[in-house]
Amino acid sequence: MSSLQQYGLLLALVVGTVGFILSIYAIARTFGKARPEPGKDVPATAGQLSREPVWVRYHARYYGYALLFLAFDMEMAYMYPWAVVYKQVGIVALLDMGVFLAILFLGLLYGWSQGALRRQ
Amino acid sequence: MNTLIILVLLLLGAYFVAVLENWISKGRFQLGAPLFAAVAFLGRESFIPRKPDQLFYEVGPVLLLLSAILAAAVIPLTPDLIITDLATGALFINAALVYVLVALLMAGWGPDGAYSMIGGWRFLGQLIAYAMLIVMPITAVAMRAESLLTTQIVVSQAELWNIVYQPLGFVLFFIASMALAFLPPFDMMIAKGELAGGVESEYSGMRLAIFRLGRLVLIITLAAATVVFYLGGWQGLPGIGLPPWAWSAIKILLVTAAMLLIGRYIPRIREAHLLSWCWIFGIPLALLNIFIVGVLVLEFP
Repeated sequence: MSSLQQYGLLLALVVGTVGFILSIYAIARTFGKARPEPGKDVPATAGQLSREPVWVRYHARYYGYALLFLAFDMEMAYMYPWAVVYKQVGIVALLDMGVFLAILFLGLLYGWSQGALRRQ
Repeated sequence: MNTLIILVLLLLGAYFVAVLENWISKGRFQLGAPLFAAVAFLGRESFIPRKPDQLFYEVGPVLLLLSAILAAAVIPLTPDLIITDLATGALFINAALVYVLVALLMAGWGPDGAYSMIGGWRFLGQLIAYAMLIVMPITAVAMRAESLLTTQIVVSQAELWNIVYQPLGFVLFFIASMALAFLPPFDMMIAKGELAGGVESEYSGMRLAIFRLGRLVLIITLAAATVVFYLGGWQGLPGIGLPPWAWSAIKILLVTAAMLLIGRYIPRIREAHLLSWCWIFGIPLALLNIFIVGVLVLEFP
């Protein structure tokens, strides 16, 4: 299979799965609709009806990790092609990536020393 | 044809996970229970919260199932039984599984309920903890195989399985994949006793059924990925003459059972603790694993 065909197959898989789910919803629908009753459609919170919307601002207490995560995630994008040619290139590849990872790792240690690795 | 066989096998696997989970967590071994539950879901009411974000609410469960199925599309069960042998297979699994986070965030945000919202945010924190421990061990696997083709990764383990070659990577990947599938010690976002169901709490009827099916397929997919990356895929132990598909099946079922059993004996882990453990211990260990494998690959190819 050419790679275009492979991605076509994956697209067909997505479409087929969505179709499967929709047809199941349709079958369930033939059993009848939900009966409208007061208070049924209100989200519950601690046993009470939730009156206020919850779409408000939250404090993401893991933002220290999240910033480090961005740096490491970018690094991983370069690691995959590196991993594939690693054995061909040999010890030079290990040193190249070693220097890169050492700098990143120092960054992790610095972040730790500055208190980034805890719930803020 | 392969596609159909694998989809049917995925459904069977999901059924098996449901039976096993019922057996392990509740102590009831009932072969028919998931079937009856699925039929009962058909007749249940499916009501929508008062003011939902309609798009997010509907897409959440569908996306969860889709991401699990797409990840399964590049996992080989035998040398030929694979949906598509993508040249970027090992990377594609990551890409597909990241949508688990998107699905849970959408399902948490959509219904405008406090419990589901908090469940969604908890999973975002959990992603920042486990994500690096999924990608870094896979990199080490790709280094040994010199390829991102999943079939090539299995072939590279012909002499020695990766669980022996890089045991550290296996342990990290196993734990991270349990966190990714929000299995028991890491199930703060959907646990019944935590947030009244968390992300699941505002779903009912068929949408809830699809959400749970997506979770079951995700578990069996991750077990299959663990087998492909670390347990030699379809390759058997020498001296035992079973066909390749039987080896794949046995290994996947054993890994699934291990994942479910471990969760039974560990208390739930808050995402704040998981974050600090993963970043202080997990990521240095994963980097060490890459370094050890790097040396090993050059010395003992």
